[in-house]
Amino acid sequence: MKKKKVLSLVMTLAVGASILAGCGSSSTADSSASSEATAAATSADDTASQNTTEAASDSATSSGDQKITIFQNKTEIYDQMVAMAKDYEAETGVAVDVWQISGDDYYQNLKTYLSSESGPTIFTVESDTEIAELKDYMSPLTDLSFIDKENDSLLAKNDDGTVIGIPTTAEGFGLVYNKDLYDPSKISSIDDLVSYIETEKDSGVEGVGLSQEAYFLIGHILNTPFALQDDPDAFCQKVYDGEVNIADVDEFQQLGKLFEAIRANETNPLEVTYDTNVGNFATGKTATIHQGNWCYSMFADYDVSFDMGIAALPIDGNDKIAVSRPAVWAVNSDATEEEQQLGKDFLNWLYTSETGTDYLMNKFGFVPVIEGMTADNLDPLSQTVSDAITSGNILPWTFNTSWPAGIVTTYLAPTTEEFFSNPDMTADDYLRALNDNFVQAASE
Amino acid sequence: MKIKKGWYILFTAPLMIIFAIIELIPFVTGIGYSFVKWNGLGKSPKTFVGLQNYARIFSDKLFLSSLLRTTIFTLITVVIVNILALLFAIIVTSRLKTRNVARAMIFMPYLIGGLILGYIWNYVLGEGMSSLASLTGMDNLFFNWLVDKKFAFYALIVVTTWQLAGYMMIIYIAGFQAISDDVIEAAAVDGANGIQTLFYVKLPLIMPSITICLFMTLSNCFKMYDVNVSLTGGGPNNATQLVAMNIFNEIFTKSNFGYGQAKAVILFFIIAVITLLQVRLTKSKEVTL
Repeated sequence: MKKKKVLSLVMTLAVGASILAGCGSSSTADSSASSEATAAATSADDTASQNTTEAASDSATSSGDQKITIFQNKTEIYDQMVAMAKDYEAETGVAVDVWQISGDDYYQNLKTYLSSESGPTIFTVESDTEIAELKDYMSPLTDLSFIDKENDSLLAKNDDGTVIGIPTTAEGFGLVYNKDLYDPSKISSIDDLVSYIETEKDSGVEGVGLSQEAYFLIGHILNTPFALQDDPDAFCQKVYDGEVNIADVDEFQQLGKLFEAIRANETNPLEVTYDTNVGNFATGKTATIHQGNWCYSMFADYDVSFDMGIAALPIDGNDKIAVSRPAVWAVNSDATEEEQQLGKDFLNWLYTSETGTDYLMNKFGFVPVIEGMTADNLDPLSQTVSDAITSGNILPWTFNTSWPAGIVTTYLAPTTEEFFSNPDMTADDYLRALNDNFVQAASE
Repeated sequence: MKIKKGWYILFTAPLMIIFAIIELIPFVTGIGYSFVKWNGLGKSPKTFVGLQNYARIFSDKLFLSSLLRTTIFTLITVVIVNILALLFAIIVTSRLKTRNVARAMIFMPYLIGGLILGYIWNYVLGEGMSSLASLTGMDNLFFNWLVDKKFAFYALIVVTTWQLAGYMMIIYIAGFQAISDDVIEAAAVDGANGIQTLFYVKLPLIMPSITICLFMTLSNCFKMYDVNVSLTGGGPNNATQLVAMNIFNEIFTKSNFGYGQAKAVILFFIIAVITLLQVRLTKSKEVTL
C-alpha cells in the first residue's frame, strides 16, 4: 500500500517536471535539469520522460540548424511566400518559416509577438506611426547590398537617419474604372462626377462604389483632400490645433458633395463588403470603385472582359493617384546577431537573385521599387502605379505619415457609418464631425 | 492527520499554480500597469502617471456610453436568457416525445462558439435580410439589421440569447431532476395543480440553479466580446460597442496600454460588486428541505 503511494507520487512529480520542461525549453540549463529529474523517474512513467526528451532534443536542433522566421501583412500572398521559403531552403540551406496572421489585425499580432520577446526574424511594418512605435525593434539595414538603389523617399529611417526598413512594394489607389463605362478625360471635377453618378443611375449602373471596411469606406478617399494641400503635414497640424476646420476648406467640401451623391443614389456602402464591391465592378454593375492595384488579384475569380485603369479622384481637378509603400521590411533587433545576418542575407537574395526577383515581380505581383528592376508581366492596375512612379505624378499617403495612430478604425469609420445610416446628417455636419475626430485623436 | 495535509497540498497545488500563473499574477501586474503611460511594447518607456489614467475615464464619453450600453444589454439579456432557459427546461423535462431531440437542438448553439455564431448571424441579418427584401419586395419587413443602430443592438441581444439559453437550460434541467419525486407527489396529494407545483414547490427548490445561472449570465454579458466583434464589430458609429471591445480597442488599436488597463480594472470592480450582490441575494432565497 505504501509502495503504491510512493509510486504515484513519483509519477505526479514526473508529469509536473515535464510540464516545466515544456516552458523552459529555450534555456538549456532548465531543460537539462528537468531531463535529469525525469530520468530518475523513468521507471515510473514512460510517457512523461518521452515528452521531456523530445522537448530537450527540440531545443538542441534549433540552435544547430539555420532558420529564420517571416511574419508579413499581406495574407493574399501567403501561399506564394511558403513556396518561396521552400525554394530558398533548397538554394541556401537556410530554413524559412512563414507565419500566418491569426484574426485580422496584423499589427496587433506583431506587437504581441515582439513584446513577448518571441518575435519573427523579419517582419513588415505599415504606417509611419507604427514605424515610430517599433523603431527600437528594427535593426539598421544600411549594409544591404542593394540599399543604394532604393528610392530614398520610400525608406524608413529612425531618428538619426539610419535606414531601418526597406519598402516591400509600391501601391496606388484612386478610382479603379471600367474603360467601357467611364472616361476619365471627360470628368475633371467633382461636379462632373456627381452628374455622372446621377446619369449612370438611370441606366442601372452605380457610378462610384465604396465598401464597408474602414479604409475602403473613408480612410483612403479622405486622403485626397489632405494630400492636395500645399503642405499636408503643416495642414494636419493646424487641424489638430484647431486653427483650421476641414469643413471650411474647399477640397473637403467637394468630397462632402460626392458623399452626399453616393448616399442619395447608390447602395448604402455599409451593406457592401469588399468582396461584393469588387464583384460588382468585375461584372459591370459598378463603373468605378475606390480601390487600388491590390484588388486586381480578386478578378481572377471572374471572367473580366473589359479594360481597366486607375483614375484620379477629381477633387479640384486633381489628376494624380495616391502612391506610396504599403509596408517596409524590417529585421528584428531582438534576434541574435547570427539570425539578424541570416535575415539580411534573405532580403539580399529576395531583391537581387533571379529566383527572388521572380517571386517578387511575377508571383507576389509587386511593383518594382529598386532602380533598374523591371517587371514585364505587371497587371494593368500595377502598371498604372508603376507608370505614375516613373512620371512622379503622385500624391502622398497622409494617413500613414500625418494622421494620429488608429484614427481611421476608431474614429473616422464610425463617424462615416453615422453619415451613411442617418439621412438627416448634412455633408457639413459630417465634415465637422470628422474634424472633431482629428482634434480628439491627436490629443490622445 | 499530517499525511492528509500533504495530500491536500499535492492535489490542489497544480491547480493553484496554474490559477496563479494565468489569473492572479496577471491581475496584480495589470493593476500595476494601470498607473503608467505605456504603448505596450517592451522597449518603449513606461512613465508613471499615478491616478491620471483613472481620472481620464470620467471624461471619456465613448467609454462611459459603452458602459451604460453594456449595463442595459446585460439587464435585458439576463432576463430573457433565464426566462427562456427555464421555459425550455420545463418543456424538455415534461413528457414531450421529442424531448431528447429538442434538448440537443437547443443546446447546440452553445457548442458552436460565439465568434462563429456571430459571423453566421452577421450573414443572416445582413446579406440574408437584404436579399430577402429584394426577393420579396417587402422592404419594411426585411432589411439589413446591422446598419440600423437600434436593430444592430437588438441583434446582439438575440444572438447572445440564442447562444446562452441552451447552456443555462442544461443547468436548470439538472436542478429539476434533482427534486425528489416524493415532494412532487406530496404536492399532488395536497391538491396542487401544475402551476402551483411549479411556483411553490419546484422553483424554490431549484434556487441554487438560479443562483448559478444568474451569476454566469451576468458575468458573461458584462464581458461579452466575441459575439460583439463578429456580429456588429461595434458599429454602426459605435452604437453597439460593448465595454470589453472599448477596452480592447484602447489597448490594441490605439496603443494606450496603461489607460486601457485602468478601464479594465474599473470593469473588474463593477462586475465583482454586481455579481457578489446578486449571489448574496439569491443565496438568501435558497431553501433546504
